[in-house]
Amino acid sequence: MTKIIKSVVCPICGCLCDDLEVTVENNEIIKMKNGCAVCEAKMVHGYKSEERILEPHIRKDGKLVPVSMDEAINKAAQILTDSKYPLLFGWTSSASETQHVGVELAEELGSALDNCCSVCHGPSVMATQEIGIPTATLGQIRHRADLIVYWACNPWSSHPRHVERYTAFTDGRFEKSEFKDYVQKLKAKASQKKVAATIRRTQVRYQPSRPQSATVEAPPQTLAKAGRKMIVFDVMKTMTAEVADYFVKVEPNRDYEIFGAMRCLVNDQELDVDSVGGIPVDYLKEIADVMVNAEFGAIFFGLGLTQSIGRFRNVELAIALTRDLNRKTKFVVSPMRGHFNVTGANTVFAWQTGYPFALDFSQGYPQYNPGEFTAIDLLRREDNDATLVISADPGAHFPKSALQNMMKYPLITINPDWNAISRLGDVVFPTQWCGIEQAGTAYRMDSVAISLKKVVEAPKGVPTDEEILRRILEKVRTIKAQKTTKENKEPQKEEAPKKRRLKPQEENVKAEGD
Amino acid sequence: MITITPKRVFTVPVQAACISADVFAGKPLEEIKKLSITEGKETITLDDAFNITEDKTIETPNITLTGDFSKVKRIGQGMKTGEIIINGDAGMHTGEKLAGGKIIVNGNSGGWTGSEMKKGLIEIHGNSGDYTASPYRGTSTGMKGGVITIDGNVGTDVGCYLQGGIIRIKGSAGRYLGYHMLDGTIFVEKDCAIRAGACMTGGKIIINGTIELLMPTFTIDSIKPKVKIDATQNAQGPFYVFLGDIAERGTGKIFALKATNPAFKDYEKYL
Repeated sequence: MTKIIKSVVCPICGCLCDDLEVTVENNEIIKMKNGCAVCEAKMVHGYKSEERILEPHIRKDGKLVPVSMDEAINKAAQILTDSKYPLLFGWTSSASETQHVGVELAEELGSALDNCCSVCHGPSVMATQEIGIPTATLGQIRHRADLIVYWACNPWSSHPRHVERYTAFTDGRFEKSEFKDYVQKLKAKASQKKVAATIRRTQVRYQPSRPQSATVEAPPQTLAKAGRKMIVFDVMKTMTAEVADYFVKVEPNRDYEIFGAMRCLVNDQELDVDSVGGIPVDYLKEIADVMVNAEFGAIFFGLGLTQSIGRFRNVELAIALTRDLNRKTKFVVSPMRGHFNVTGANTVFAWQTGYPFALDFSQGYPQYNPGEFTAIDLLRREDNDATLVISADPGAHFPKSALQNMMKYPLITINPDWNAISRLGDVVFPTQWCGIEQAGTAYRMDSVAISLKKVVEAPKGVPTDEEILRRILEKVRTIKAQKTTKENKEPQKEEAPKKRRLKPQEENVKAEGD
Repeated sequence: MITITPKRVFTVPVQAACISADVFAGKPLEEIKKLSITEGKETITLDDAFNITEDKTIETPNITLTGDFSKVKRIGQGMKTGEIIINGDAGMHTGEKLAGGKIIVNGNSGGWTGSEMKKGLIEIHGNSGDYTASPYRGTSTGMKGGVITIDGNVGTDVGCYLQGGIIRIKGSAGRYLGYHMLDGTIFVEKDCAIRAGACMTGGKIIINGTIELLMPTFTIDSIKPKVKIDATQNAQGPFYVFLGDIAERGTGKIFALKATNPAFKDYEKYL
């Protein structure tokens, strides 16, 4: 039986496009409309891959053996209660309902709790705490923004529908799409190329290559046009830079200096230097003019700011520049969040505990300090003696030293497929694909809550991650209650922390972690 | 004097804010042994983790810690009087919110050492971690007074939001030295990484070595032959004096030694 489901929400990136049309036949997605290539790869092909985990596994004698759900739950709960200081990490590809249970579990265990934003946009959150953020929803930007600045991000590849749905190439109520201009520019470029080729063929046989005087092109006159404009700041010419009106090539790790200089220029101050971060100050002056003359500007920044030298300080200055611009015109700034519910993880953790990530419950109350309680820092210092990873793959993305320390102690994973971290786990749980087999709530990159839809049924016996966590939580509570009754009867002897049965699997880490 | 040595190698962080001369003062040894600390999520007594002995013949230092304390956090937190000597590495938040007294670390010290301190002295005869003398996240009131001396190098973000006091660094300093500082003095005897004094609005940073790159938001003021570090000591120049951060309309000063910073010769045309 074929059915078409409309207004399905895409569970891939922070855009959370909610206009997908999915065709389902015999409980299988066979076709979809409106989605980008990344969305199609996951929703039509990826979710039914052969790498799917269908039953729980426990590592016995170095090999992962299928076991019953009860056994796996008991084992996981036992590991977590025996541990002196476990770490719960992941959360960003789970629904907010699951994240809510996660906080409850962390509090019960007195563990460290961190989400993937500590390796992506955590610095944006920290900068917001330092200085605040003047921001807007994507809807407002779509209808009103006449100047779009993408700083250190490449939405054409990472958020493929961002430009098309929310910024330059969409028709808003008050601003028209820039797509026609772009097509005209392409045509003009093509004819320019043809003319140049003809001249080359007819007149010049050999032309020695001349060294370029500057790496940055001068701002084009089209920046003065009315209507939508798009400027891209990046270290390399990406696809987004190709479609922009003006691309500014920045020296790597010099964004902070450029933001500082731009702030001075926006405030009509003079600089003692001729160029900043490889960009002549005269060009920066023109860009500052364009920004001040915009009616409604929006800066979107990506991981190029948050994960290069300076991290949250870079973002802090981007926000400070926006604040300065707001004295002269209307400007907003917004992070390009990655995973579809990473904003949700921050939001849920914040309304439950007061803090968005890098949490610690060891004192019985939540403590927050990025650098002290962030996953990679904890693991590199070897502070934890057990780890639970949910809906994330640190196996593929964490530094080797952090992974090696993680592998010295028991590891529990909750993931739908056999990714790098699931293969390294001691207790491996299967789970449903959130947003395809499981409904729930997710937060878009501008913190708008959107309901994810259930499109197909999950394979038999595969529970939701929320259900797994609830069962682990219940078991942990039972074990703790038993312990307390035992302790009351006889004083407890101190035990040395249990090391993992296996030797640290350096070969595995090398093969799959790097 | 109370002597404390770890009973075992700690695998998880230990939070021991009670190791402080104020807390120990007037308490008999048995009571000190029963003070509670946490090891990971578990609450234990000081006696469970450390060997504690008392020598009543010695008065100062009040507490001597011997061994590896790199996983022990918050030693001497909020201490008002007394002296602690740590013969080994100290963990994070050592001497946080110090309001008097003295802490000497004969080893390296972790992040947030001397964070938000008000008075007193911290001597580190090794390296110190990131955020030394910087406040907690989101706080805009940093160290208000006292002295921190570091024999080795320091990490990034040292002396953020500094409001008073002196930080002397005999080695090199990392990025964002004196970020957003309002007052006080930072003296670095060796080199300094990028973005020193970013967003500063007051105070002075003196650098005897090379500055990797000066923020474009600083403007040259003058060349001075010497500069005062404290009431008794001067640093000999000549120094380039930069004013900033002009983006924050600040009047902080960076003194960069002329001999070690030939890259700043271009600025002389503006004098």
